Amino acid sequence: MTSKAPEADTSTPPTHPARDRVAAPSITLARRASTYLSRHARLRLAVLLSAPLLWLGLVYVAALAALLITALWTVDSFTGQISQTWTLDNIVAVVTGSLYQTVTLRTVGVAILVTIVDIVIALPIAFFMAKVASPRLQRILVIAVLMPLWASYLVKAYAWRSVLSQDGLWDFVVAPFGIESPGYGLPATVITLSYLWLPYVILPIYAGLERVPDSLLEASSDLGARTWRTLGLVVLPMLWPAIIAGSIFSFSLSLGDYITVNIVGGTNQLLGNLVYTNVGAANNLPLAASIALIPIVIMFVYLAAVRRTGALNNL
Amino acid sequence: MNLNYSSRRMTAGSARRSAALAAVAVASIAVLTACGTTSGSAGPTTAADEVGAGEGQVSILAWPGYVEDGSNDPTVDWVTAFEEDTGCEVTSKTYGTSDEAFSLMKTGEYDVIAASGDASLRLVAAGDVAPVNTDLIPNYDGIYDFLKMQSWNSVDGKSYGIPHGYGANLLMYNTDVVSPAPTSWDVVFDKSSPYAGKITAYDSPIYIADAAVYLMTHQPELGIENPYALDETQLAAAVDLLKGQRANVGEYWSDYLKEIQAFETGDSVVGTTWQVIQNSVTTGNTAVVLPDEGATGWSDTWMIGSEAKNPNCAYEWLNYIASPEANAQATEYFGEAPSNEAACEFRTEGSCEAFNAGDEEFASKLWYWSTPIEKCLDGRTDVTCTDYSQWTAAWSEIKG
Amino acid sequence: MIDHTSRPVAIELSALTKRFGDMAAVDGVDLQIAEGEFFSMLGPSGSGKTTVLRLIAGFEQPTSGTVSLFGRDVTTVAPFDRDVNTVFQDYALFPHMSVLDNVAYGLRVRGMSRITRHARAREALDRVRLADFADRKPTQLSGGQRQRVALARATVVEPKALLLDEPLGALDLKLREQLQVELKELQRSLGITFIFVTHDQEEALTLSDRIAVFNNGRIEQLGTPAELYERPVSPFVASFVGTSNIFDDAVSLALLGRRGTHSLRPERIGLTVGDTADGITAPGTIAEVIYLGTNTRILVDLDAGQRITVLAPYGRERFSDHDRGARVTASWRDADVISLQSPTTPPTAPSEKTPIEMRSR
Repeated sequence: MTSKAPEADTSTPPTHPARDRVAAPSITLARRASTYLSRHARLRLAVLLSAPLLWLGLVYVAALAALLITALWTVDSFTGQISQTWTLDNIVAVVTGSLYQTVTLRTVGVAILVTIVDIVIALPIAFFMAKVASPRLQRILVIAVLMPLWASYLVKAYAWRSVLSQDGLWDFVVAPFGIESPGYGLPATVITLSYLWLPYVILPIYAGLERVPDSLLEASSDLGARTWRTLGLVVLPMLWPAIIAGSIFSFSLSLGDYITVNIVGGTNQLLGNLVYTNVGAANNLPLAASIALIPIVIMFVYLAAVRRTGALNNL
Repeated sequence: MNLNYSSRRMTAGSARRSAALAAVAVASIAVLTACGTTSGSAGPTTAADEVGAGEGQVSILAWPGYVEDGSNDPTVDWVTAFEEDTGCEVTSKTYGTSDEAFSLMKTGEYDVIAASGDASLRLVAAGDVAPVNTDLIPNYDGIYDFLKMQSWNSVDGKSYGIPHGYGANLLMYNTDVVSPAPTSWDVVFDKSSPYAGKITAYDSPIYIADAAVYLMTHQPELGIENPYALDETQLAAAVDLLKGQRANVGEYWSDYLKEIQAFETGDSVVGTTWQVIQNSVTTGNTAVVLPDEGATGWSDTWMIGSEAKNPNCAYEWLNYIASPEANAQATEYFGEAPSNEAACEFRTEGSCEAFNAGDEEFASKLWYWSTPIEKCLDGRTDVTCTDYSQWTAAWSEIKG
Repeated sequence: MIDHTSRPVAIELSALTKRFGDMAAVDGVDLQIAEGEFFSMLGPSGSGKTTVLRLIAGFEQPTSGTVSLFGRDVTTVAPFDRDVNTVFQDYALFPHMSVLDNVAYGLRVRGMSRITRHARAREALDRVRLADFADRKPTQLSGGQRQRVALARATVVEPKALLLDEPLGALDLKLREQLQVELKELQRSLGITFIFVTHDQEEALTLSDRIAVFNNGRIEQLGTPAELYERPVSPFVASFVGTSNIFDDAVSLALLGRRGTHSLRPERIGLTVGDTADGITAPGTIAEVIYLGTNTRILVDLDAGQRITVLAPYGRERFSDHDRGARVTASWRDADVISLQSPTTPPTAPSEKTPIEMRSR
């Protein structure tokens, strides 16, 4: 990775004396710096990455630290002022309180269900897009998958509220086949969240499938594997990182959601609602911060578990 | 109520909701970056003696729909007239929840705030608002007496603001389904309510007061005198009642559009409501009633910041917005009863009746939102009452 | 060399046609390939040879016509039910499996137990001298090693015929020559039909019992390597297989004294300074002299108006760069002139291409 700055060469006579020689670039300070950098790959990398890393460090690490620190403070409940006395009360309350345990379990359950539903729906759709559809249809489908993202989150959640309501679209279309509308509640929350996050799951899986060469599918078939064996032995293992990437989206987004459950969740509340209540209604930032740590811890555990499977190695 | 009115309400309502979303964004940033400000400065406890020359501008913090200068709807404008009369240029900011208002007021950037009862006392206690000398506000005379010097707008005999509009948290029911017509909150609190699964309730800790109002009649042995002054035993009784109710509740509402829709589709058939919501339900099969037990309600108050930079223009605004014309416009646009007796002359035909404006008997049955504090609002000194943070914890507990 | 006429037919294509939209990639191909034959399909890219291979493997469905394998019509049979296996151009090794699991894959999907299939796979890896690499991932292998894994994977399931789609195309020259020998040996020891797709005429000539030269979705000529080289039937074959000087009607009349299209191999032309030569002679001027090591390529502009290529073996007449512009006489025997069918389609390969150029693709 080293390159030398061109040096003036006076030893050989010019071959075309009639023409002026192209002058060597003059050695400016900038040129020296870039020469130096081109010889020192690590330094170059450091200079390149320092700005984004600084930004990441500020936004993520500092924010997380602020969250943790806030969780260790208390608030004067009447005047709403935070008093910076260090205490573990909030965290202890969150860890031991049966309310928080119940809501955490409910939230994780919803997030897992949403993730499973999304993956099960996304796999065939992504497979059709990547491996079956013509290039033209493929473009149309990608746009179709992206299209819901152009609409507001609230509009989509309210649309589901109306679909699932009494005498809603569900009662009109699905109920005649014997499946009653689940009404408002956790099933409705799972349905709506699955719909909301589906594009985030389809797209990485689609991209992952695009990276699986057709020749691998042909090779598998050529070696005697029927379609389902090929999917199980070749496609799925190669897609694993993409599925994990998609699941990180749907899982983490579901963990943090509080609006959908508010709109279609009936009387249920999730962790996000507790955070919202404590920030919004109770003005109790420290307790809200403590609750907000729960999904963060869960995500860390999830990522660590995923890492153990080795799925992140190929990301 | 005409259609035009309800569509205007929709506009204000969605603005309120997006403001709430913005508030969440702001709040989450606050969570991430807050390093806890502990200003805690006690503001002036004395009111102004005179209104001097205007400073040329005034900044106002208010619910959406309270300060309209025609930019949302050209036909809705009562700010321009004020600016022309007084030379005070108005800048306004809207908020989505009382708690957002509370934290915004702490910045000291606002001269005037329109606060509901669940924020006003906190603002006083935090020293963010100053007493108001009502003698300097000629239009104060026109305000209904039953709204003056109440627990949510005065402390120790000192007025902290001018009443604006008020309304009740009524009982709404679907006339096709709920029969006979209810006269009691029984239909929502009785565990064996025939409407189980289709009951709705307001999603806020302050709803505990609704349960307390019910208990005042049905369990007098608890000795509840004021639904915002509950000791621990009384709170526990209210929580028990609400936990039992939860099994029958289809969904809670805090976004009023959600309740309109739920009643229109029939997903909810009975529950607590605001008059404006019933006005907005288009299916025509709902009715509201003020149950025999009474109800909770709200009465908003115009207050002046303790660090107001433009106190003279602030007084000018308080006087202007209490005038019959402006009071009529603002309260009609928002959908509540006006505070000025003469305002009804300036409102749309029948709109005052729709909100029971000036009906003293109606008003006397209402327990206006107040912030529950440790020092019992009913004057008891032998016990400490449960405060709003305990109510919040209890509300989370109730929802489970 | 195997006599294809005396053996049972392994693969039979009848009137095979494959259209992609308006374009006929394969246009009415009839072909019989014998058991045990090393058969090459040679042609430029886009000539349809790979599509024919994919039709045989079952990856494509023909628009019309039939494919028979060992007497059975398999036109509509899925790839996994055909007794042939494929070695892909990009090898198509499964990146998430070890080399051993790759080789054992075909046995695994046939339901063979783990122990047996691993033992078989190890034997197959042994045959291609990769036993030590069994636990590696394909990405940790060189191109030639991957190629051999692909071979082992395709042969471990004991197919009746092996289809190879430009298997050496991505390798460098030295490795390619080495693997050509190994392929030939493998085919001989397995005794099964190999169908080999390539655009490299030298590779085809080296390995094959028979070659089908493809052009525009059709077989232009079918024959043994010697037949193709010595008796090309068309200007396309003459110039695609080896190098040829093609004389069109007018040039033929001027140089040979007869009409028609003719081809003349560059190594069959002698070059002398001055005008003393036997046989047919044509005077001209040297335009370029290219030193190639074993021989020298000389481009001569004939006075008759044609530029011809002459290959002069090392040591006879020495020409060098300084001879550019020198007057020479080209001479050849009339027996070396091959009469071609008039070109129906213009040759897609330029006639001045040398074997060196073709190999370095």
